Amino acid sequence: MAGINMAVNLGGLHMKNPVTVASGTFAAGREYNDFFDIAQLGAITTKGVSLHGWEGNESPRMAETASGMLNSIGLQNPGVAALREKDLAWLEGKDVPVIVNVSGHSFQEYVDVIEALEEDVRVSAYEVNISCPNVDEGGMTIGTHVPSVETVVGMCRAATKRPLIVKLSPNVTDICEIARAAESAGADALSLINTLLGMAIDARTRKPQLARVVGGLSGPAVKPVALRMVWQVHQAVSVPLLGMGGISNGTDAIEFMLAGATAVAVGTANFVNPRAALDVVQGIEAYCEEQGVADVNELIGALQC
Amino acid sequence: MERTGLIEEAAQIVSNEQAAERLYFIELRSPQIAHAIKPGQFVHMQIPGMPDKILRRPFSVYMADRANGVLTILYQVVGTGTEHLSSLEAGQTCSLIGPVGNTWAPPAGARCLLVAGGVGAAPLFMLAEELAQAAQGLHVVLGAQTKGAHVTLASYEALPNTTLAVATDDGSFGHAGFCTQPAQDAIASGNFDYVAVCGPEPLIKIVAGMAQEAGLPCEVSLERRMACGVGACLSCVVDTTAGKKRCCVDGPIFQAAEVVW
Ligand SMILES: Cc1cc2nc3c(=O)[nH]c(=O)nc-3n(C[C@H](O)[C@H](O)[C@H](O)COP(=O)(O)OP(=O)(O)OC[C@H]3O[C@@H](n4cnc5c(N)ncnc54)[C@H](O)[C@@H]3O)c2cc1C
Ligand SMILES: Cc1cc2nc3c(=O)[nH]c(=O)nc-3n(C[C@H](O)[C@H](O)[C@H](O)COP(=O)(O)O)c2cc1C
Ligand code: FES
Repeated sequence: MAGINMAVNLGGLHMKNPVTVASGTFAAGREYNDFFDIAQLGAITTKGVSLHGWEGNESPRMAETASGMLNSIGLQNPGVAALREKDLAWLEGKDVPVIVNVSGHSFQEYVDVIEALEEDVRVSAYEVNISCPNVDEGGMTIGTHVPSVETVVGMCRAATKRPLIVKLSPNVTDICEIARAAESAGADALSLINTLLGMAIDARTRKPQLARVVGGLSGPAVKPVALRMVWQVHQAVSVPLLGMGGISNGTDAIEFMLAGATAVAVGTANFVNPRAALDVVQGIEAYCEEQGVADVNELIGALQC
Repeated sequence: MERTGLIEEAAQIVSNEQAAERLYFIELRSPQIAHAIKPGQFVHMQIPGMPDKILRRPFSVYMADRANGVLTILYQVVGTGTEHLSSLEAGQTCSLIGPVGNTWAPPAGARCLLVAGGVGAAPLFMLAEELAQAAQGLHVVLGAQTKGAHVTLASYEALPNTTLAVATDDGSFGHAGFCTQPAQDAIASGNFDYVAVCGPEPLIKIVAGMAQEAGLPCEVSLERRMACGVGACLSCVVDTTAGKKRCCVDGPIFQAAEVVW
């Protein structure tokens, strides 16, 4: 096992292994540090942060569905100053790079968040969540509209020298078109997928299960969709990909890498098994050992069609 | 807030017995959590053998036998997970995360009134045990739908220095009607300095209102749907005067006065 190279480079972000956590499922890591040393992961991705914080949605915010769950947290967060004061302070000195997930209700808000973090040495990279509604444009989701994607990614690109990961929404007709737009506007890497829009109904009460009626589907149920999108986007762009959507174990992660992901993120699986992300690291290692893979990078896009 | 670390433990089922219609007691060997658990805290349980229902379920701890490392949970069958849980047998194991959440905090020396509806009697029992030992005045009001559903009554009756009032919705035992009446009587007596409530949220709200009217500090134990159960996902928030708090780790016990109903 000692001989296997697990390190990857995600658009300039050096990770000691290809595994991070999916934004919003791991807070900033503190809650899971009771279960394992979170510095063993390739990176920590923090919960989406906006400039001054958002209240989030009404409850119920969660509904269990077949092999997955719906959430409508509504990006509740206390704002970038609180992220620095509490979460980044806690992460300081831990030997693990930090990817800050950035959200905004306007193009400028993304830039403002990045500017508030640009001098903070505790941040290693940004993941820009473009699945947010643009309040300036009547609430349209930024990540579903090519010109909006080009604008917001271009503005973020100009605001930072750090690795810029753009997180794609799967709720589009042609994911490759959006991926190309993000790449040409300056993204160093792309992450996918965010949650799939869905809903759940309580037949007995004839009411929606979520206060907001619709929410984002995640967990093993979305994995085939996520794999398909990673595979398509890998063929469409040349920047590296951070794959996610239903990853629960090492084998799932290997499948994403074969489809074209350079790194992977573990999300909903953390709720099931609080050591899931570490299990994924160890599962990848075990696979490499079994298959005689000396360098995990050999697996990226190694799907044989 | 200071909290003890969370533990994930593979717990072996010692017994899983039906106590009344839809009500079961499950005993789990979980020595580390049994050792650390405080009154009002809960465990986040993975019920084995439900491949398409992946999330854990939260259950309060009713009793903890520290010497033998055994936890007892009282649960009601309400859906797929609890239905499946009722079919599990001694010897099977399920993963628990615990102890999750905060604990009851009655003022020192307070004469305490505990009000429980249905399975809400479970998260109050370890508090009652502590208060009964302290002998500072303890009255417990227990409500359930029927006489048969009063499955925790014997354990409360066995406590020293404790008085009890019992109600049934169908009038088959004790006061006929909801336990709000005996709760109101106790509050009106002026004999208490603190109220703790657990049960269905409408009951909690009514009793909290009564306590507030009487100027008594009141704590409530709330339920929300939970994904992570460790404070990371923000699925479970409760609206409070200080903004949204996480039911799982900032609660499940809240000051009634801070809850925005
Ligand atoms: C802190 C806390 C302590 C609890 N203690 C107890 C206890 O001691 N005894 C007991 O019988 N029940 C208790 N409950 C309620 C128990 O968690 C639910 O009855 C159980 O999750 C239902 O699961 P199910 O699969 O049978 O129901 P389903 O309706 O099929 O569940 C679907 C989803 O909704 C969630 N859900 C459904 N009802 C509730 C609820 N009331 N609260 C939270 N989530 C819910 C489930 O966890 C699951 O994710 C507690 C809940 C909380 C939050
Ligand atoms: C409770 C919850 C909160 C989430 N919050 C965010 C967020 O703040 N920002 C973001 O970009 N994605 C967020 N996501 C999406 C995840 O990061 C991930 O893209 C998605 O859940 C798919 O991965 P999974 O199936 O492994 O969970 C959230 C997902 C869940 C379940
Ligand atoms: S259940 Fe995830 S924060 Fe409470």
